[in-house]
Amino acid sequence: MRAEVALVGYGRTPYSRLKPGDPVLTVDEYLAWAADLALQRAGMSKADFDGQGLAVAHAEAAHTVNWSAAVAESLGISPRLLLRGDQGGASAGALLIRAAAAIHAGIVDRVLVLGADTPLSIPSVAPGLPLSPERSRGPFWDFQGPFGVMGATAQFALSLTRYRHEHELSDEQLAKIAVTSRFHASLHPGAIYRTPYTVDDYLGSRVLSSPLRLLDCVPIVNGGMSYIVTSATTARTVAERPVYLTGFGEINNYYRGSRSNPDITYTGFAQCASEAFDMAGITHDEVDLFQPYDDYPFVVAMQIEDCGFCEKGQAGRFIEERDMRYFGDFPLSVDGGQLSGGQPGGAIGGFAPIVEAATQLRDEAGERQVPDPTIAVALGFGGIPYGRPGRSCVTMIFSTER
Amino acid sequence: MRKSPQGKPLPEITELTRPFWTAAHDSKLVMQKCAGCETMNFFPKPWCVECGGRRMAWTEVRPTGSVYSFTTAYAVMMNFPGWQDELPLTLCLVDLDDGPRMYANLVGCRSEEVKIGMRVVACFERISDEAGVPYFQPG
Repeated sequence: MRAEVALVGYGRTPYSRLKPGDPVLTVDEYLAWAADLALQRAGMSKADFDGQGLAVAHAEAAHTVNWSAAVAESLGISPRLLLRGDQGGASAGALLIRAAAAIHAGIVDRVLVLGADTPLSIPSVAPGLPLSPERSRGPFWDFQGPFGVMGATAQFALSLTRYRHEHELSDEQLAKIAVTSRFHASLHPGAIYRTPYTVDDYLGSRVLSSPLRLLDCVPIVNGGMSYIVTSATTARTVAERPVYLTGFGEINNYYRGSRSNPDITYTGFAQCASEAFDMAGITHDEVDLFQPYDDYPFVVAMQIEDCGFCEKGQAGRFIEERDMRYFGDFPLSVDGGQLSGGQPGGAIGGFAPIVEAATQLRDEAGERQVPDPTIAVALGFGGIPYGRPGRSCVTMIFSTER
Repeated sequence: MRKSPQGKPLPEITELTRPFWTAAHDSKLVMQKCAGCETMNFFPKPWCVECGGRRMAWTEVRPTGSVYSFTTAYAVMMNFPGWQDELPLTLCLVDLDDGPRMYANLVGCRSEEVKIGMRVVACFERISDEAGVPYFQPG
């Protein structure tokens, strides 16, 4: 299935932290806005998706059981194929693989893929970040909350503490990822936090759950994103610069070692990234741009290693030695990442790496444009299982050439 | 006994999970042991995650283990205002001597004293007439 499909459009709505004066939009409105942006960029209309595919990533905001069909109704599209993602930050990538498989099988020629969420608008008892009620029910939850688990920051902190027991990774090295993301965000009009900061600013931010600091944590926003994937044949007729999917790999519920006592310093990219590279037939040196799933700098460090850019335990040195700015030798999170760009809920952030890969490979990134990129790697990373990092891992390799 | 955990998250007890909470009320730690492959499963599962066997028996495990990893929270995150009074709060992953790994709230030692590999022992807090929750302290 190498290069059988291509991205021909993408969209990212302005994000909102719900500051006074910001419009308060519903998930449906963000979905329509994101769809509109992708359709405009592809030169298509919603009618082009009657009898074709529509895919929707789940939101944390309350939605009905048969939600993808309800979205089709609200958008007035009558698709032959409906896909619903439920893999959190891996949904956008997983939906791309599903869409590619459906196109490969001849079921449809194209799929409009949407995701939006309004996590800041969910009613909640929380004194800060709201939390979906559906997230906090069932045995999975019952064996975390009462035991002192306070969410992703604490859970990734546990992985980092263990990682540092086995390998070296300094605060300054993690800071370089955060500072680079913010530098890129300063060049992206759509990023939610755009004022550059220094390594010292990072080191001075307060510790939330040791060793993780405030500036390690992804800011939650309301917003929506989208992309359009078509057969390569159609892509060449509608797009000047199709962005081909040349390789992919996915693994869910990955364990390193035993299921009872796994090694939590690894992610599933240790398995699925090499599959994607093999499928695309590329080496790591050929990658022009790396868009990890960057909700925490430490998560990026694990992804750099597990994707094979360096050996396990060497991410710190790798980060130190490479220039991760858009003009450097390892451009990373060139959109400002989620870390400074914002995350529209735990389920939609996975669109951002895909959207930025397409933006860069189509030479549409303006001030932060990587010089003449031909190959981008984007990741999806979704859900936090009990005592481990990352339920779902998706690696995607995009190219301007087939 | 620690003070009543008012405002902290409480479990919704179901038939699947009841034996764990009841045992913790009586200061015991129990987990599901697979009759086929003897794997100890935690948190409670509908079948053994190693072999898929559905015959699992609640079995008492020793309340001792070692710290696999830890973090100390200095702020309440997500929707847990009830933990505010206990900050800084240390959360560990504990590898039990009899099997699986579990999340564990560690008390009774300063956060800077926590080390990977440190020996810990479970204690229990009653949260209702029928249920308890384990926490851990150095031991």
